[in-house]
Amino acid sequence: MMLKGYSLKRYRKYLLPFIALLVVTEGASIVCHADFTSLWTGIVKGLEFITFMFPPDWSAFPEMIQPAFQSVLIAFLGSVFGTLLAIVFAVFASSNLVHPLIRNITRFLIGFERSLPEIIQLLLLIAAFGLGQMAGIIALALGCVGMLGKLIADAIEELDPVMLESISSVGANKMQIIVFGVLPQIIPNLISYALFRFEINIRLSVILGAVGAGGIGYQLDYSFGMLQYHKAFTAMIVIMVMIFATEHLSQLLRNKIKMEGALK
Amino acid sequence: MSVTENFLLPSKKYKQRATISSIAAVIVLLACIYTSFNPFAFFSEFHFVVDLLKEMFPPNYHVIADNLSILSSILQTLSMAFLGTLYGCLIGLIFAFLAASNIMPVRFVSIAINLFLSLVRVIPALVIVLIFVIAVGPGAFAGMLTLVVSTIGTFGKLFREIIENSENQPGEAIYSVGASRLQVIKYSIIPQILPSLIANLLYAFDVNMRAAIGLGIFGGGGIGFEFQMAKSVLHYKDVTALISLIIILVFAVEKLSDYLRKKILGEGKLKSR
Repeated sequence: MMLKGYSLKRYRKYLLPFIALLVVTEGASIVCHADFTSLWTGIVKGLEFITFMFPPDWSAFPEMIQPAFQSVLIAFLGSVFGTLLAIVFAVFASSNLVHPLIRNITRFLIGFERSLPEIIQLLLLIAAFGLGQMAGIIALALGCVGMLGKLIADAIEELDPVMLESISSVGANKMQIIVFGVLPQIIPNLISYALFRFEINIRLSVILGAVGAGGIGYQLDYSFGMLQYHKAFTAMIVIMVMIFATEHLSQLLRNKIKMEGALK
Repeated sequence: MSVTENFLLPSKKYKQRATISSIAAVIVLLACIYTSFNPFAFFSEFHFVVDLLKEMFPPNYHVIADNLSILSSILQTLSMAFLGTLYGCLIGLIFAFLAASNIMPVRFVSIAINLFLSLVRVIPALVIVLIFVIAVGPGAFAGMLTLVVSTIGTFGKLFREIIENSENQPGEAIYSVGASRLQVIKYSIIPQILPSLIANLLYAFDVNMRAAIGLGIFGGGGIGFEFQMAKSVLHYKDVTALISLIIILVFAVEKLSDYLRKKILGEGKLKSR
């Protein structure tokens, strides 16, 4: 018999967690008003809506190029300035370069930034600076601090202390230690983290556009708002190509950096 | 070329570095000019931020105490993230098994599923949430379904990579003594991938929690929706209170998932990611 190998005793310790999981799932479904019968009827509606978008309006394609370029530039500048900002924060957040007290304060700031979702920072910055590309770029740059700051600071803390000691023993000051001892060692890591962040920023810059910072996201949101679904579909295709291309480009570059780093 | 000349001229490496960095600087500069972005404007126009902060402080915590709807919206956000992670990871895991090249014998199926997963990943979340809002109406359910779809995309791919990176030898050993394909999965693959699967499940909950907050702004319900409402009527003191609530929520979830990870996997196994 197949069932001979299965005794209830073996699985008894999984019984309680399993029941707890079921209860939590059921409770969460009630809170969310999750109703799977309405999903099946709704899916038909959703698919019908998708058919509205076919075929894409290719004549709108030329006017999508410029906003797409703008979105890419926003993401690019956000990543560049964000990385620079993150390096500054990372230096102050690593225990082998600064006083532990300063390190803990900076770490707290970085953690604080990370726990605030990007979209909320974005909305607040738009509230402060008004609509436009500037708020978008600043929001993306600040968003880098939480993630890149932590990753770079961890990379700095894992550096071999012998290197830094040997530089300081021949008379280098703090700035020289950072420039000649720390930066050259973390640059491969730094570039691959920055590329990864650039991927995220491309996605964010689309959302950013939808809340008013311009670019391709604005075109998408506007076309949906004007019920020009064919045009919206064109914008969507442009966005998908954009995300796909950056994802693969950054993967390629990161793999290359990894290989070269391994060769050294 | 004599030795002295080599001393006087900048080294080849230096030249290379100088060229790369100056090209990068020019590109950044051109991009700045094109988008008319002035990085120093952040400092010169900093008074706008100060104005906003003045508007935001002190936070109005009464809004949380008075409105039960805000507490229930937190519960909603948590359940959205939980269900999105649970269903998304379950479906994603099934897709991952079907797409993994070392398990799936039919190449056509694995290629098709991989294509589907990457298609799901590139569709902007904005469009997915819009479609679900039309399908099931605005609210937490639409947000949850969006999270399910985006989790399938990202974690399906991640799980596929984990499965493909697992060791082949144990499976081959079992197979050679007459195990079926399902038995190979059960006794060789699953024990190998279980630790990283659990770690990623908790990570997915973390990610979905943040995404759930963001989705509320586009009609997904939950605390993000309350935030958007308070912001659009310019009650910035309420906004500050909600933000502090969100930060506490995110911190608590992070600590909880750290605790669960340690408890389930044990200290020693933590590194087997």
